[in-house]
Amino acid sequence: MASIPTRFDVIVVGAGPAGSAAAYLLAKKGFSVLLVERGKGLGDKNMFGGKVYAQPIREVWPELDKEAPIHRWVTKERISMVDGEKVFTVEYRTEKKVSFVTYLTQLTQWMIKKAEGAGALLASEVTVEEILMKDNKVVGIRSGPDVIEADAVIDAEGINRLLLERLGLVKKLDPDTVGLGVKEVLKVGESNIESRFGLDKKEGLAWAIVGDVTKGIPGGGFIYTNKDTVSMGLVLHLSKKLIDEGSFESHVSSLIEGFRLHPYFKPYWKDAIISEYGGHLTITDAIKFAPSKFAYPGLLIAGDAAGLLLSLGYTFRGVDYAVYSGKLAADAIEYARNNGGVSYENLQVYDDYIRKSFMYEEIMRHRGAITLMNSFELMSRYPKLLTKVMEKMFEADYKHEVIYNSLIQALKEEGISPFNLISQAFMMVKGI
Amino acid sequence: MRIVVGMKWVPGTTSVRIDPKTGTLIREGVPSIVNPHDMPAVELSLQLKDKYKGEVIAISMAPPPALKGLEYLIGMGVDRGILVSDRAFAGADTLATSYVIAKTIEKINREIGKVDLVVFGQETIDSSTAHIGAQTASWLNWPYIYYVHDAKFVDSKFVVERVLEDAVEEWEVELPAIIATHMKALKPRPVRLINKIRYKVEKPIMTWTNAELKLDPRCIGLKGSPTIVSKTVNVPEVPRKKIVYTPKSGEDAAKWIIETLMKDDKASKVLMKYLSMEGEVQ
Repeated sequence: MASIPTRFDVIVVGAGPAGSAAAYLLAKKGFSVLLVERGKGLGDKNMFGGKVYAQPIREVWPELDKEAPIHRWVTKERISMVDGEKVFTVEYRTEKKVSFVTYLTQLTQWMIKKAEGAGALLASEVTVEEILMKDNKVVGIRSGPDVIEADAVIDAEGINRLLLERLGLVKKLDPDTVGLGVKEVLKVGESNIESRFGLDKKEGLAWAIVGDVTKGIPGGGFIYTNKDTVSMGLVLHLSKKLIDEGSFESHVSSLIEGFRLHPYFKPYWKDAIISEYGGHLTITDAIKFAPSKFAYPGLLIAGDAAGLLLSLGYTFRGVDYAVYSGKLAADAIEYARNNGGVSYENLQVYDDYIRKSFMYEEIMRHRGAITLMNSFELMSRYPKLLTKVMEKMFEADYKHEVIYNSLIQALKEEGISPFNLISQAFMMVKGI
Repeated sequence: MRIVVGMKWVPGTTSVRIDPKTGTLIREGVPSIVNPHDMPAVELSLQLKDKYKGEVIAISMAPPPALKGLEYLIGMGVDRGILVSDRAFAGADTLATSYVIAKTIEKINREIGKVDLVVFGQETIDSSTAHIGAQTASWLNWPYIYYVHDAKFVDSKFVVERVLEDAVEEWEVELPAIIATHMKALKPRPVRLINKIRYKVEKPIMTWTNAELKLDPRCIGLKGSPTIVSKTVNVPEVPRKKIVYTPKSGEDAAKWIIETLMKDDKASKVLMKYLSMEGEVQ
């Protein structure tokens, strides 16, 4: 019998996109890696809207386009502003393979298989209860009575950071930094998807919806076309203020039902059955959510746990950021090994890697978007304003209003001053 | 002692749906699990090993995906797993299944070491026959006790406790024997990280096909299965009426329930019949 190892070079907590990428690269570089996952089925514990940006993931797996379980490449991006039954939609079409739609469980399983194939040892259905410290340095993990040691631990536990909370490195979840994502997967059928959304084979659509689908709660809706199903749902920004004000009057299930039964969207999933539904937290304020440091002695934090998610309202980037941060964690550990060992001095490069990465720069650059997305104007009044302009332009039995007058009249009816409109529009352009 | 524990890899019932047209299980996309009623059997086996040393071997007759289930049991502390898997075993009823399992136990007895005890769960959640323990015992001609919730050695005698509705029986059993646990006998222990690591490093799993077992094709699989399911009847779910009434008092609640039931055609007939029966008894 081989002896059972109780020590690894690196332990990765959480086999999501961040953990799997780190485990894969480290195993490939010759480190002994233990990848611990609490879910029963692989990929069971995570959730997303539906769209993944490809390029940062190709840096870890250049074979992504050929091998990964990609349902459709996004060729159409739509944005709709909704006010009651009135809807204003813009659409953009491209053929470049920038992002794709898939099921996150399938993609995560593919990533885990890659990590296992490279030699990482996967222990699933096991919950890590504690990250162990000795002399102010992380030395391993504990699960039940079992202690496993390592030179470095990568915390990729996801948005609900129970381990980091126990270590005292982050505070309890703050409603102002997170949102609730709810989603339904509707079985529409492959040919129906293509005819109803005007797509060719393998072509996909990503659709962002703002306006009163969230009944005044900051956030928005999304629709993604998978292979033979459609994922649709809502992201609701939580905040202490809104909770205190009692804005969350209706249950999320009735909000999502209202969206599903909306006369504009309903025909897209006519006769479809709901094959899955779920809910998950998502990061809405990455800067406030992020831990104060990404590297601690013996510990690196990656993925959602590190707050690495870009939420712009019209697009979200979480999976590719997670994978890329996993790559940076692996790079940092390799750097440490090549420069005299996995000491804190050496591991600190990870903090630099993250802060100088495109992800962090993007999050910083778009930080204005957070304020905007939480603003009542953007979420309720502008969709209303825009649909009203459209109403003035199109809903005429004899005489059509000129565009300028439509806008002025709509502004007047909505009580928005042209000055406010211009300054907010400027903020929007600058912020997003 | 050497203990063999049986495991069945079954569709998780919380997500199983019946096709209303054909009356058969929709298996597509339904994740499988270890038969929950096998868990007390595994727990009892592990507790006996904790007390009396030895090894626990989990066996399962199933297609290869059942390896996930054996991995789970090894994660709990089972020493090794044997997957008995061959297309020739497919389509088996309980007779053919218990035959293969009995022959597997004989092979373990011959080649790995003397088997002292075989433990099964009460029944499976996907067929609920509770045949396998009894049939395997018949094939092997070993004693069989079921509804077991505890077992221990008392002065070198193996004593098994059996729970009945109104009594607990104690049986002295000569080993080797077969027992089947009561479905609520014991709470299973969680999976341990160290056992999961051991599973990946040592791969303590064997797969036996019919090339190893060399069983007569007439006794296994569909050919060895005299029982068939000739017909299934789908009983449609009765839609709930979803009436909510907030009563002012207990008396008011009782009155409202009776009145509401009496207004309903079917319910009132049942109620009247029951009430007249009560009258006869008194």
